[in-house]
Amino acid sequence: MSAPFAAKRLGKELQKISNSLPPGIELVSADNFEEWLLDIRVLDDNPLYRNEIYRLRFRFSSTYPIEPPEVVFVKLPDRPIPIHPHIYSNGIICLDLLGHQGWSPVQNVESVCMSLQSMLTGNSKNERPPGDEEFVRGNRLRPRDIEFYYHDNDV
Amino acid sequence: MPPPNTPVDGTTTPQSTQPSQPAQSSQSSQSVSRPTSSIIMDASQVKTALVKMDYQAIDYVNPVDETLICPICRTAFHSPITTPCGHTFCAKCINRALERQRVCPIDRQPIDKTRDYRPIPLIIKEQLDRLEARCPNQGCDYVCARENLEAHYERHCEFTLVHCSKPSCDKLVARHLCSIEGQCMHEMTNCDFCLKPVAFVDLDAHWEQECEAAFATCPDCDASVSVVNNSMLKHIQQECPEAMAKCKWDGAGCRVTDKRRIVREHERNGCMYETVGRLLEQQAEDRRIIQDLTRRLASLEAVRDTRRRERRRDSAATINDRTATATAAGGSLTNPTTSTSTPADSTTWESPHNYMLAQFERLESHMEELREMVCEMDMRQSASFLHHSKQVADRFLELGDKVGVLSMHTKWLLNMQYMQRNAQLRAANAASLAAAAAGAGGAGLSGGSDGLNHGGESSSGAGSSSDSGLRYQGSRRGSEGRIENLTRL
Repeated sequence: MSAPFAAKRLGKELQKISNSLPPGIELVSADNFEEWLLDIRVLDDNPLYRNEIYRLRFRFSSTYPIEPPEVVFVKLPDRPIPIHPHIYSNGIICLDLLGHQGWSPVQNVESVCMSLQSMLTGNSKNERPPGDEEFVRGNRLRPRDIEFYYHDNDV
Repeated sequence: MPPPNTPVDGTTTPQSTQPSQPAQSSQSSQSVSRPTSSIIMDASQVKTALVKMDYQAIDYVNPVDETLICPICRTAFHSPITTPCGHTFCAKCINRALERQRVCPIDRQPIDKTRDYRPIPLIIKEQLDRLEARCPNQGCDYVCARENLEAHYERHCEFTLVHCSKPSCDKLVARHLCSIEGQCMHEMTNCDFCLKPVAFVDLDAHWEQECEAAFATCPDCDASVSVVNNSMLKHIQQECPEAMAKCKWDGAGCRVTDKRRIVREHERNGCMYETVGRLLEQQAEDRRIIQDLTRRLASLEAVRDTRRRERRRDSAATINDRTATATAAGGSLTNPTTSTSTPADSTTWESPHNYMLAQFERLESHMEELREMVCEMDMRQSASFLHHSKQVADRFLELGDKVGVLSMHTKWLLNMQYMQRNAQLRAANAASLAAAAAGAGGAGLSGGSDGLNHGGESSSGAGSSSDSGLRYQGSRRGSEGRIENLTRL
């Protein structure tokens, strides 16, 4: 029962997304209702992200949109991982919006992309999260199972 | 920059003693339900749908307004509810969301779902009911208002899944496939062509997609053609380029009969009978038009005749009717439908034309009445205007008179003042002359008293003239007399 629910909702979203997307967001592939790829770029002239395009991977569970999707940046030759104090160098994003507490079923792929865009736009720190190297080396958990502590309300 | 929808400080998870599974969601999530016995006992023996209609799968004819779309499922609301914070969701959607987190998905206000839901305004419900929706069943393109769609889906749609006709079979089948009572569409049969076992339900799909034996080679053109449902015959009669065919202008006298592709070539190059053929077609068309026109003329004549008869028969009644409506002028004019509908009900009309003609006549007579009324009102209006303006003119004349009188009075008063001053001067001169000429004497005293008397008389005359106005005739005479007196002095 829940799988069709997610599929129907994603179908609606896909319909809307393929018609129009906000500037700086592009749909790369959405061949099924499990994994979508999108490209985002920062619109203003932030020197940290100028002329860069980043690849996002959305993975939807059968309980979407009740549960949040898993959203990570993907590293490709022409798609780096953006530098940000809340983005680990393996692409995992620490954003309350994507956690179980911060997620709301009224969010959608488009609004998540826009939130990430604004998260990058507002950043001026050229740094990775504290403990990035250890985390990247040691983490074997899926992003959804990581318990982040959202301490920073500025970014 | 904080991302949107960061949790608001101070929101707490509500404490609820109610079980987490709400009655509503358990009901709606029960997607497959046996039809109730009362429906099965229905006289029409209509098989009801076994799977509830899925409102999220409905396709709407026109784009649905964003305000009527549930933010969770992104489809038009289905049995929506409103949270205490004023946000609206499908009941099913909000219940699913609240199972995980007991806050409003939009503003994260705590919600106690067992108590806090409010019903939505009826106007929203009506808007939702009126959305033009397409039946969610594959293959069905029925469109109606959304409120009626469920009835269509459950009772009428040929593509709705129902129980198989055979009581022992527990599978579902589209309604149009279970027409034969007791015949299970899931029983295996052998394909007529390949002899493989196939369920009845899947036979069509099997023939169209799998069965190789269902396709045969056309004896003439070597094409692979399905043999199901006479499609081979159709192919030979209409399509096959190698089959024998006649020229298109066969009816016009062309005798060419050859393989279809050669005949087609012949037609393209210009069959010599083509002109004749086209002429014949044109003639047939003309004949058809003439027949049509004759038919219409006949029907119109019939209508005219009946109308004429009817008018003769009804003339007396119509006159009565007219007088009746004329007497009840005001009421019948403000509401002509009531006055016209009564005779229409009492008479049976032979055709809509007659009815319309009668209505037209009635309306015309009403127009005539209205015109008369307007004329009469116009006359009355102008008469009353004349009357009023005459009164005003009279008043003007009267006022002019009064102004004349007043000016006369003023003249008189000024005159009198002038006289008085003259008299005083004369008296003073006389007194000084007397005093200078002789000593004290009787003549001098009597002259003084005479002067005083005059003064008294003139002051009383002025008083009476000032309040005259109405009694001006009398006072005028008095004042005239007084002027004479003064001049004599």
